[in-house]
Amino acid sequence: MKGFINRIIENSFIDGPGNRMAIFMQGCNMACLYCHNPETQRMCTRCGKCLEVCETGALSIEEGKIKYNKKKCIGCDRCLEGCLNFSSPKYFEIESDELVKLILDNEMFLDGITFSGGECTLQTDFIVDVVKKVKKNSSLTAFIDTNGFIKEEDLNKLISCVDGFMFDVKAVNDDIHRTLTGVSNEVIFKNLKILAKTELLYEVRYVLVEGYNDNIEEIKGLSELLKELNDYTRLVLIPFRPFGVKTHLKNMLPFNREKYDIIYEEIYKILKERVIKKD
Amino acid sequence: MNVFEIISNTNIDYKEKRHLLAQAAENTLTYVNLSVKTEKHLKKGILCDIFEGHAPYRPRYILPDYEKFIKNGSEYLGIEPPKDMYEAVNALMIIYQYVPSITGYPVYVGQLDYILQKFVDTVSEKEARNLIKMLLINIEKTLPDAFVHMNIGPKETKAGRMILEIERELKKAVPNISLKYSKEETSPDFAKFAAEVALEIGKPYFVNHQEIKDILGENYGVASCYNTLKIGGGSYTLVRLNLKKAAQEAKDYNDFIENILPNVVDSLCEVINARAKFIVEEAKFFETSFLAREGLIDINNFTSMAGIFGLYECIELLTGLKLGHDDEATKYGEEILEKIKKVIDEIEGYGCFGTGGKIGFHAQSGIDSDIDVTAGVRIKIGSEPSIYNQIKTEGRLHKYFNTGVSDIYIFDKTARQNIDGVIKIIDAAMKSGIKVFALNTSDSELIRITGYLVKRSDVEKYNRGEALREDTVKLGAESIKNNKTLDRRVREIE
Ligand code: SF4
Ligand code: SF4
Repeated sequence: MKGFINRIIENSFIDGPGNRMAIFMQGCNMACLYCHNPETQRMCTRCGKCLEVCETGALSIEEGKIKYNKKKCIGCDRCLEGCLNFSSPKYFEIESDELVKLILDNEMFLDGITFSGGECTLQTDFIVDVVKKVKKNSSLTAFIDTNGFIKEEDLNKLISCVDGFMFDVKAVNDDIHRTLTGVSNEVIFKNLKILAKTELLYEVRYVLVEGYNDNIEEIKGLSELLKELNDYTRLVLIPFRPFGVKTHLKNMLPFNREKYDIIYEEIYKILKERVIKKD
Repeated sequence: MNVFEIISNTNIDYKEKRHLLAQAAENTLTYVNLSVKTEKHLKKGILCDIFEGHAPYRPRYILPDYEKFIKNGSEYLGIEPPKDMYEAVNALMIIYQYVPSITGYPVYVGQLDYILQKFVDTVSEKEARNLIKMLLINIEKTLPDAFVHMNIGPKETKAGRMILEIERELKKAVPNISLKYSKEETSPDFAKFAAEVALEIGKPYFVNHQEIKDILGENYGVASCYNTLKIGGGSYTLVRLNLKKAAQEAKDYNDFIENILPNVVDSLCEVINARAKFIVEEAKFFETSFLAREGLIDINNFTSMAGIFGLYECIELLTGLKLGHDDEATKYGEEILEKIKKVIDEIEGYGCFGTGGKIGFHAQSGIDSDIDVTAGVRIKIGSEPSIYNQIKTEGRLHKYFNTGVSDIYIFDKTARQNIDGVIKIIDAAMKSGIKVFALNTSDSELIRITGYLVKRSDVEKYNRGEALREDTVKLGAESIKNNKTLDRRVREIE
């Protein structure tokens, strides 16, 4: 079985417990204004735009497919900036067995693997295939980094084979959610509640974006909900940073630190050690 | 510099002048006797004695048995065996002034946690902490040399924890600290604390206790630049072979292995043995040292070290392959090291009783003046593969060395939030045969946050933003250097 992957980070300390291999899948079902990895959102339409901006000849078209020559690439990222389609000429297809081999070859260094993206759950069958094979041959754990916009069928498949979810909540208010992501958060909260009742909801993440979702009452509301749902899920508060952002938010300043600290203190009152501070 | 230039130089202080004058005096003698061919290798820079001087009168590295000193006191120094923490700390501060070495400062200050633990309960906890702090500050101020090295572990002790806590607070480069680390003996909690401290201040290094114990026995120490030697012993000398320069002499790989290597390694051993012999027979070191008279060192624990460096460039020159990126390259590396080791072991090492009569084999971790040549058997900076491949490659190469080999692994700051993950990698490195694992964090401010891929353009953008904020002085060389760290920081496959 084949999967589409934007990038693999072999050594990550921030994508779940312990040392993990983070696999960033290509493709997403949202379009967040503050997306830090917009080049992972869509599949390539082979429009050829990126070829025009690449100055090193690292890109070419062969049999209608974009070919990427890593050796020639100098990492200038012009192709990513030039792609109007929120895609990348660099993502690749990989056989699940090949990925499994890469993971198992490095098993001794790892606590586990994490699928991220993009929205990795769009490739649930691939993930399930990889996870089953990895688990058959090792004691590594598998985590899912998701925006929560998951089909019921896929969610069930994943619940039955992975060890944890890192779950983004982009906004509590549905209108703001629609503005920020392009979709309603109804399904997301439904899934959040389902997962909270399992033992798999490792953490919920919330990126604070000035003027959008930094209303303290809403964040408090989310915290109260988490407190009510279970006694273990951590809430990670992430301050917005403009890196990688492609929309008009790219000119926004990093989230104000003082404001961040105030919000953190308030949430700490509700969730205590369950709320996690980020630089 | 000639004697007058040293004396009249306004850039160096009194102590440094005295050191240079002693060196100048030593160098008025002719170099220890060498064959013509070996002199040629030295002149060409294929061999390098790291400025040890023409007529050595003390071993390069000495690891006195401080435990014995604390137990018996010293007749020569007029010191009774210490009875409490005050006396122990004082005794240590005194003896350090009497330990010779190549730099004039002791390169080994002992297994301080174990030594001090015996006295911790003779005073209150607060006093113990103050005394340890005083000792550490004293070492830093009176022995201001980056090669001064302290050991702790493998077992956790109260004193060991205090040492790390205080060092973390002092944040000084001196002394170096090595933690003898073993999954069996070091408590997970202490290991985690040590890793946390290392991510902050660059030390302690994690030493593969099991592996080194198997080679040298329980009684070993780590001194100077990752040299592993027997306590109560040391190394007469360290002469190093520049594998890159040696490779430049060869017609091809075969010529290198069959002709060049045996020839230069033979010369390497010749220089080493001539120097060791001079120390023992001409300078009569062991007859004049109170350390020897009082049994704090014993010639039976001594050895010499044959160092090598530039394996990366050597392989690249001869085969076109890149170490760390090519399994074939590692195989060539193994073959080269095996050959060197074989030639060394065919020659008798003068006075090398500490390592079975053969000269110790050491991967030398570089000196300031090395340009375009990589330390020891490390992978060239900026060309490191994924950390896993780096460890797997080097693990295969570390097995040949019995007197020291190391590498530094750079983690980004996110590691600080996930010490379990760091320990996982250290443990895997130990299993892969890495002998000394030094870790550090890149000082870059731009780090990955959860679920976010750092792109090069982000790094540049970040640096541009920084440039606006910071004054221009700080830019230039520093930032370029930092960029390099950034390059090696976030590793990934695309
Ligand atoms: S990566 Fe983007 S710009 Fe390039 S061909 Fe695909 S869709 Fe077009
Ligand atoms: S980053 Fe993109 S545009 Fe730049 S050299 Fe590489 S492929 Fe070409």
